[in-house]
Amino acid sequence: MNATRQIYWNIQGHIAIYPLFLVAIVIFAYGFYLKYRLWHVGQPVDRNDRKGARAKSLIGFVLGHTRILRRRQPGIMHFLIFWGMVCLFLGTIVVALQSDVGLQIMHGPFYLYFMSLILNIAGLAVLLGLLIALYRRYIKPAEGLDNQPDDAVILILLLVIILTGFLTQGLRIAATHDPWAAWSPVGNLFARLFAGLGAATQSEVHRALWWSHLFLALGLIAYLPYSKLIHIGTAPLNIYFRSLEPNGALTRLDLEDEDLETFGAAKLTDLTWKDLMDTDACVRCGRCQNNCPAYLTGKPLSPKALIQDLKLQVHQQGKLILAARKTAAHPTTGEHETAAGSELDAGLDEQNLVGTVLSEDALWSCTTCRACMEQCPVFVEHVPKTIEMRRNQVLMESDFPAELNGAFKGMENNGNPWGLGWAKRAEWADDLGVKVVATDGAPEYLYWVGCAGSFDNRNRKVSAAMVQIMRAAGIDFAILGTEEKCCGDSARRLGNEYLYQSLAEANIETLNGYGIKKIITQCPHCFNTLKNEYPQFGGNFEVIHHSAFIAQLIAAGRLPLQAKLNGTITYHDSCYLGRYNAIYQPPRQVIEALGLKLIEMPRSQRESFCCGAGGGRMWLEENLGERINMQRTEEALSTNASCIGTACPFCLTMLEDGTKRKDVAENIKTLDLAELVQQAIQSAQ
Amino acid sequence: MRIVVCMKQTFDTEAKIALTADGLIDSTGVTLVVDPYSEFAVEKGIQFKEKFGGEVVIVCIGDTQAETAIRQCMAMGADRAVIVTDPAMDGSDQSATARVLAKAVISQEPDIILGGFKSVDSGSAQVMLRLAEILNLPHVNVVTNIEIGEGKAIATRELDDGVELVEVSLPAIFTAQQGLAEPRYPSVKGIMQAKKKELKRLTLADLDIDPTSVGPANAKVKIHGLTLPAPRKGGRIIGGEIPEATADLVKALRDEAKVI
Amino acid sequence: MAGVWVFAEAKDGKFRRVILEMLGEARKFADHLGEELWAVLVGSNVAELSSLLGEHGADKVLVMDNPNLAAYTTDVYAGVTLGLINTYQPTAVLFANSNMGRDLAPILAQKLDTGLITDLTGITYGPEILFKRPIYAGKALVELSFAANARPMLLTIRPKVFTPAEPQTGRQAEVITASADLNALTLRQVIKDVIRKASTRVDLTEADIVISGGRGMKNPENFKILEEVADILGAAVGASRAAVDEGWREPQYQVGQTGKVVSPQLYIAVGISGAIQHLAGMNSSKCIVAINKDPEAEIFKVADYGIVGDLFQVIPILKQELQQALASA
Repeated sequence: MNATRQIYWNIQGHIAIYPLFLVAIVIFAYGFYLKYRLWHVGQPVDRNDRKGARAKSLIGFVLGHTRILRRRQPGIMHFLIFWGMVCLFLGTIVVALQSDVGLQIMHGPFYLYFMSLILNIAGLAVLLGLLIALYRRYIKPAEGLDNQPDDAVILILLLVIILTGFLTQGLRIAATHDPWAAWSPVGNLFARLFAGLGAATQSEVHRALWWSHLFLALGLIAYLPYSKLIHIGTAPLNIYFRSLEPNGALTRLDLEDEDLETFGAAKLTDLTWKDLMDTDACVRCGRCQNNCPAYLTGKPLSPKALIQDLKLQVHQQGKLILAARKTAAHPTTGEHETAAGSELDAGLDEQNLVGTVLSEDALWSCTTCRACMEQCPVFVEHVPKTIEMRRNQVLMESDFPAELNGAFKGMENNGNPWGLGWAKRAEWADDLGVKVVATDGAPEYLYWVGCAGSFDNRNRKVSAAMVQIMRAAGIDFAILGTEEKCCGDSARRLGNEYLYQSLAEANIETLNGYGIKKIITQCPHCFNTLKNEYPQFGGNFEVIHHSAFIAQLIAAGRLPLQAKLNGTITYHDSCYLGRYNAIYQPPRQVIEALGLKLIEMPRSQRESFCCGAGGGRMWLEENLGERINMQRTEEALSTNASCIGTACPFCLTMLEDGTKRKDVAENIKTLDLAELVQQAIQSAQ
Repeated sequence: MRIVVCMKQTFDTEAKIALTADGLIDSTGVTLVVDPYSEFAVEKGIQFKEKFGGEVVIVCIGDTQAETAIRQCMAMGADRAVIVTDPAMDGSDQSATARVLAKAVISQEPDIILGGFKSVDSGSAQVMLRLAEILNLPHVNVVTNIEIGEGKAIATRELDDGVELVEVSLPAIFTAQQGLAEPRYPSVKGIMQAKKKELKRLTLADLDIDPTSVGPANAKVKIHGLTLPAPRKGGRIIGGEIPEATADLVKALRDEAKVI
Repeated sequence: MAGVWVFAEAKDGKFRRVILEMLGEARKFADHLGEELWAVLVGSNVAELSSLLGEHGADKVLVMDNPNLAAYTTDVYAGVTLGLINTYQPTAVLFANSNMGRDLAPILAQKLDTGLITDLTGITYGPEILFKRPIYAGKALVELSFAANARPMLLTIRPKVFTPAEPQTGRQAEVITASADLNALTLRQVIKDVIRKASTRVDLTEADIVISGGRGMKNPENFKILEEVADILGAAVGASRAAVDEGWREPQYQVGQTGKVVSPQLYIAVGISGAIQHLAGMNSSKCIVAINKDPEAEIFKVADYGIVGDLFQVIPILKQELQQALASA
């Protein structure tokens, strides 16, 4: 006997599905179109290049759920619902193909394995997923979730759809005494419930449930773009259109463009359409917020709230802007005008982003650590938006925390944020006899010391260690000496693109002038901007962070490390080394080679917690909430390691400050990797 | 209200001072900035303009390099500038500088004149007051606040042991001390606009000043030579028992360092 | 007539130490020229101070005592001093580089169409007398002389540089009493109010001496001992970021990168390790003293004088020593 079942058993006029479906689709399309129009009040930006790479993103991040599954419980929840619904949807299509296209496919093993067994499992998976979701929302609320009516509506709707599906199947099995019932174990289970009912009742209830199931399913489709379920569409779009630039590269502003009326983002329309679409891809899962150092230390910044508040603006202001553009495009005076920039003519006073979507305090609280973006399953871009707003505050309004004045002027006049005399930049190397490019010629490797390594006595020790290491390995290196200027990382992340560009251009001119090809840095901030951002200005170098460089030297056997260090260490991943540049393993390889026992902190590698100094926060006071460096120091101390290892001058400063404040600095040393390697070299000699 | 601010360009305060082979100050590679005291005055001038309307005119004596400093002031919000550039001015003393400045300033018909009470380079702290005397205008020296009233102003003048409020009628000259105003950081908008603002370049001839009446030959005070102070000795840890060490410290501060 | 004059600015019946220092140096100046040393006393109720001036080396004291000269205003003081200079034709006039001297000397220099050397820190006597003063905030020194036609030579003298002459008890100066018609002067400056600082403590950024405490202070109460030292020195009290973060001092007293930038003549860092964030706010101080129990502390790298020791032991002794030292001055 050929396994199959009768399609549309007990249903008359199933063909009505199609007009009804059309209605649902029209409502759906209209809703989506409205959103689409709202996104496009934003600026244009090309996010459709490198299509192959974009398609690959879709496979990994959408189908593979690689990011979503990083958090186990919600990851599994989403995986179950997603793949369950995909299977059920496919099943529905198969039914349509068989009944109304005439493909005879619902037979035999395909019917038994897929249409019965797998779809039953799929339904069960969705059910399970929904239960997890309900548990996370209403039984034991998970961190970072906030409940809105929409959340409940969606969950209940899905739950009812799945249940009506199973009930309908159960009734059909019961009424038709389906011989293949065992292949639909869940449906069969429900069938037993109804076994006692009379055939007429079974048939009547079945029909009612079938139609309910249909209407609910179509209702769900129509409801999609009006709820957070729009993410079924926007999440893949957002992933497809995600930035493929290096993580560490902010966009370049063309400051010479005289036509630009504003720099950075003051208003909604200064952001790109992608920025605005982000807000409809966000499902308020809260992962960004759960990992945000500013939020977790009680500062008035939440990346989730930023996106949600922006969403509100898109919906409120965006509608007004669209209306205003419409009026402007068809003015009563008869004069025709293009849409862009005509809001003001139409009398619309657009609100400032700072103050509505982000308070000033929140704006300056961001350390640009990228934990939010690293976690976001749908690739919402929080940090670039924040930087755009900072850019506007600094470049147009000159409105920023007063203490930055000194840092900016210091970088401007003396090429370092402390404003110490530029002529003293190479003093640290005076007694070390380090070669200087200007007098000794271009080396194979330029050693880029950075401001901290040049001026800060604590970090000068790291520079001295680097010199010793490179000499021990026989590296041909030299420094720029007084010709080196601040790389500009802080300036750029504080929104001072003008200052950043002048520093970057000066440095690139110097480096290119000497024909420098390879650069070693000990500061992840220098590393990141030289490697990822200087190409925007014609600076193309092979830039190597000292942790990776040392790891290479050790692997190649070029460092005399016979002596092993003893003891335990915990290693703090710098944001700009780790999350921005994915350098997680080299520092750990160095630690291992030194013979130290690594004890990881609860939050490490891509989940590492910022030290508090990134994004120019190094130059700002931290007056709000708890101090970020203290929270991280406590986490480091919780490992009971006898040493805290870093690979970034800012992290070193912040964590050592933390141990001093905890009064444990005498016992728990905070050391840069280079200093540890130096110890091993010294004890080997 | 027309606010004229006398501005000087100077070395960045962090600049390393070295001498050339001829024994002059070596300016190679030195970062030039708006003198911090001038900058307080510029900021105050702009604040007045924002409050009372009018314009801020920068008056400067200097070479073409000084135009960078002028643009900086314009980026902060100054409206236009007059720069007197003339090789004859090289080596002029404060007396000649004040005389030239006076001509340039008065040509602008100011309601109020501001400037630094001193500069961080020569620091002679006399040009602005000589200017007041030449223009026969009242002045208040070393001020940390100025309140403008109807045709007059009350300035807070620093004393050795406090402050006093001095009233003068306008036009008048005020010299800025730290605290008068916190200079703003120019926006890029300001920097862009500054490029297009009016900068009037004058020579001594344009001001009807005989170039032979200025310069080193006419200086009341002649420069004989420059020297660098003995390099700061690396720090000295005063050893010994604490009571003796502390006594030695006080002695060193008084007799060696001469700071107490 | 000729002579080297010291403008003996007095306040509340007293001279500041710099006046005696000026007399000490002016004596040498006058002797070198073979001229008399005159002290000029302008003010109200100042006549009785003439004897002190005689004891410190003045040959003549020119007194202009007038109740209307109680408060300094530029026009009045410049008017009467100009009258005296025109009458007696001195060769040189020395003013203290005080707020009064800084105001009066330039005006007189312009009125007399002569030269003025301010903030003088040294004189070399030779065929041509050379006057030394710091420029570029003390990073260079310039030697100057007056042109032959620039008379009188006007100078303002930096305090704490020259040494007062040993007072000769009983040495008397000839007192010349002068008077002036103050009504003939136009007075353009009107003093509306004078606000004396309630305490001697001055503003952080303007203070000549700053004493700052850091993490080593342990608690807010301990800052009291720094305040006591500050009162003796007329210094301002600052704090490092660590001390401010702990809540021991208000943020406006923070010295450093993100706080106030100071460049006093003397900076005393107490219990401060010397992180770059702090150094950026005070490294241009002329003289830096560090007191810290950790000999490895970074602050010693920038300090001119350092004491390695427990600050709670050092500061009370420092207070006593300073009291004694300043009392003897």
